[in-house]
Amino acid sequence: MSAPTTDVHRAPAAGPDQRIADELLRIGIDASTAGPTVLYLVSGIAWLLIGSLAGVAASFKLHLPDWLGGFGPLTFGRLRPIHLNAVTYGWISLAGSGMIVWLMGRLCRTEIRWPGLLYASAILWNAGLAAGSLLVLLGYNAGMEWLEFPLPAAVTIAAAFVLFALSMFRTFAARQVEHVYVSLWYILASMTWFPVLYVIANAGLYQGVGEAAMNWWYGHNAITVWFTPIGLAGAYYFIPKVIGRPIYSYYLGLLGFWSFALFYNWNGLHHLVGGPLPTWAISVSIVASLMMFVPVLAVAVNHHMTALGHLQIVRYSPTLRFVVFGAMSYTAVSFQGSLEATRTVQEIAHFTHYTIGHAHLGMYAFVTMVLFGAIYYILPRIAKWEWPYPGLIKVHFWLSAAGVIVYFVALTVGGWLQGLAMNASAVPFLDTVGDTIPWLWARSVSGSMMTIGHFVFSAHVALVIYRAGPRRFAPAWFRKAEEVAAE
Amino acid sequence: MTLVPAAVVIVVVAIAGASAALAAFFWALRTRQFSVRQLNEGATVIFDSAEDIGKPTDQLFRKPLPDKDERTDH
Repeated sequence: MSAPTTDVHRAPAAGPDQRIADELLRIGIDASTAGPTVLYLVSGIAWLLIGSLAGVAASFKLHLPDWLGGFGPLTFGRLRPIHLNAVTYGWISLAGSGMIVWLMGRLCRTEIRWPGLLYASAILWNAGLAAGSLLVLLGYNAGMEWLEFPLPAAVTIAAAFVLFALSMFRTFAARQVEHVYVSLWYILASMTWFPVLYVIANAGLYQGVGEAAMNWWYGHNAITVWFTPIGLAGAYYFIPKVIGRPIYSYYLGLLGFWSFALFYNWNGLHHLVGGPLPTWAISVSIVASLMMFVPVLAVAVNHHMTALGHLQIVRYSPTLRFVVFGAMSYTAVSFQGSLEATRTVQEIAHFTHYTIGHAHLGMYAFVTMVLFGAIYYILPRIAKWEWPYPGLIKVHFWLSAAGVIVYFVALTVGGWLQGLAMNASAVPFLDTVGDTIPWLWARSVSGSMMTIGHFVFSAHVALVIYRAGPRRFAPAWFRKAEEVAAE
Repeated sequence: MTLVPAAVVIVVVAIAGASAALAAFFWALRTRQFSVRQLNEGATVIFDSAEDIGKPTDQLFRKPLPDKDERTDH
């Protein structure tokens, strides 16, 4: 590893020459990340559209079961895994990788190393996703939630991740800054953890109860070691960066990371409360889930106290509005998740739509919103073209935010009522199903809102990449720059 | 594979993961990542003299705005 050449933070001299040198260095670093980042982001957004359409179609089928039911590939059992895999391994993973590539350059203050591996990784990753999706559509399904892709597709994706991680570790080894920023801790940890997790879970060594245990050890840890670090790394960078203020407590930031590493990976078996596993194993998982209050509180205090006093920036900055929404959702979903892991709550919420609402609070309201915010920051700096229509960003934000709020409330309330009805022995089972239909309609409508927002977002991304639309010489804020300056 | 061998795999992976985490932790101690100086100044690594503390950065293509008095005059 080459020795880092700069001090803990930046060169102290801040004369005009130093400013120009820093600016040029940053522009050079951003330029080195441009190709791979755009490839990851654009392909991630393509999978977002595919996954959204599959998700909305699957959602409508829950209350209109005959719709598109005569054609095998469009049945619920195939569309639903397409939605899940496209948005997690497609959208979040690829767009998250794009954000990570860009952040690695910034945080290591050096150009990206081995970019060829990144291009190969992005191509392989997309090939694996396309093959896996096609196989699932044709009816070949590995049979475990989050692990539906047949082995050849999973092996391709695993190989792609290893190539990606190699380039990132090589860049880290060449870093020009001594200190490892808290976002970088999350990124490096995920580079180590996720390939191990994914390979072991796909190895197919388990049967019966062991398979169920492995399934949820994997399912929850995919969130732990990959999706959550993406969201937290982004939030820890963009909130202080956009505001122009260091995070509230760096000590808490590192405490949050290490306690996250200690407690989070034990959580998976709380998905199997009431299942045929040793009680102690599930109890350990529940205790670890409750211990998650430690890292979550550390992160929550840090993010919210950093933004506090600067909420006027949230009003006009697209990046900050999305990222702060995501950070607030992280606190909410984590608190909810810890409580949801207890047996008392599981007695009612298990096997209901409540869980789906929780999952979307995490994967959409938290991770996806942070990624949207990150893209609103990164893309103009790479394309050298500001977002041409701030109004479209506003439309995107409100469709996504209102969509996920309606979605979450509907499934949380509807799911809880469903659980109460299922526990009431006097209520016929079919009545418990029929009673969910209004909530499922709300789910479909809110899902459609989010999907429309995604199409608006992707059209806007295309305009920036092709440098089309009116050229802006002022930032794409939600309010006129003069109004902001006047405050 | 039955539950017992699957649990063995999980335990082995957990031990390997914990070892990696410990290795990272001791590396961080050795390179003084948690020294008071680094903890006090680490939060500032995302800034540089061109994008310094106190300066919001979501203003990539911002042209200098006329100051308040100038706008009032017009």
